[in-house]
Amino acid sequence: MHDETDETITRIAAALRQLPAVDPTQKARVLVAVAAERERAKAQRLRTARRWRLAAAMGAASAAALMLLVMRSESGTRRLTARPMERATSAKTPAAPSTTNPGSSTEAHLAASDAAGLAPLPVQLMLRAPAAHRVSVVGDFNGWDTHANMLRRDPASGLWSGTVTLRPGRHVYAFIVDDSIWMRDPRMPQSRDADFGRPGSVLLVGQP
Amino acid sequence: MARPPALQLLRPSAEPAPPGGSAERSLLVRSAQAGDVRAFAALVDMYYARCLRFALHMLSNRSDAEEAVQDTFVRVYRALPSYVEQESFEPWLFRILANRCRSAGSRERRRAEFVEFGEVPDRPSDHRHDDAIAWREEIALALAALPTEQREAFLLRHVEDLSYDDMSAATGAGVSALKMRVKRACDALRAWLTEERNARRD
Repeated sequence: MHDETDETITRIAAALRQLPAVDPTQKARVLVAVAAERERAKAQRLRTARRWRLAAAMGAASAAALMLLVMRSESGTRRLTARPMERATSAKTPAAPSTTNPGSSTEAHLAASDAAGLAPLPVQLMLRAPAAHRVSVVGDFNGWDTHANMLRRDPASGLWSGTVTLRPGRHVYAFIVDDSIWMRDPRMPQSRDADFGRPGSVLLVGQP
Repeated sequence: MARPPALQLLRPSAEPAPPGGSAERSLLVRSAQAGDVRAFAALVDMYYARCLRFALHMLSNRSDAEEAVQDTFVRVYRALPSYVEQESFEPWLFRILANRCRSAGSRERRRAEFVEFGEVPDRPSDHRHDDAIAWREEIALALAALPTEQREAFLLRHVEDLSYDDMSAATGAGVSALKMRVKRACDALRAWLTEERNARRD
């Protein structure tokens, strides 16, 4: 069987080969969606790593508890052999509190530091763009979603501002002006790991 | 009021990037696999317009086509670690895109069926059957009338210039089956366009 490329088919193919006009906003949205996918994958890896750390800590706690139990059992047997009268007293002795258990202590410390260290803080972001009609902020904290955090314009100053609640740490973000222009925050240092060739800014939250 | 020049500089380019050679493409794919996001952005620049063209011909609806293309690039990014270079990049990309268009096409057909039976239009169709129908519009109608598999095969062969082996990699169908689909599509397009011309002449 052969390709039936006669004149009609050639003309049809030529008409269909014309490339469509590309809306730059749509292309920018593709890159934002891919950046969001990358952040989602990164967050997933972090969650997995945290689960492993926790599992390792729990494993260590269990091992320590087991060791303690064996040591006690051995010393109890020795005591039983040496001084039979102490057996009853030993049985009534309450178990050691869990805080003395090194494994549990590690786990508790981890949980406490998580609770204390990851409390989100409000942060105000601002951009001077008097000619803009719409400004939003995208970053690793909102999955690079262009609609998640819209800024509000102050008509007098032309200043756009909004508050986002961020966990302490390093964040990379940028502004989207009129749904199509990606720009970094000129007041903040530029991120080295700018996403997809678009510039981003770095924000440190809760750092001294 | 004029837009500040600093903002305009950051607007992404509307023109499609010139198509790169296979060596450049391989380099970009390898860099993107190694985590270079700029290389991935360059691949998007290189293929966005072609992917949109294919999706537009398959779905006949701009917003569905743009959504399909966006989803395709996200899936490509997600699947990059599993991509092996022995496989050609273009058939791999078009396989993901064609799958995405088939899913979107099924949804569209279900929606069309619902409209057909749920809301009977009270006016005749707006289809224009007069001499003013442009050549491209005729082709678009003829293409839309083809079964999905034939339309897909015709586009991959005659518009995207894929070889039958690459088409086989992109669709999962055998080469003989694909040749048959392309032949039937050509026959149907010819018949449709001849019929249309005759109808306008009468």
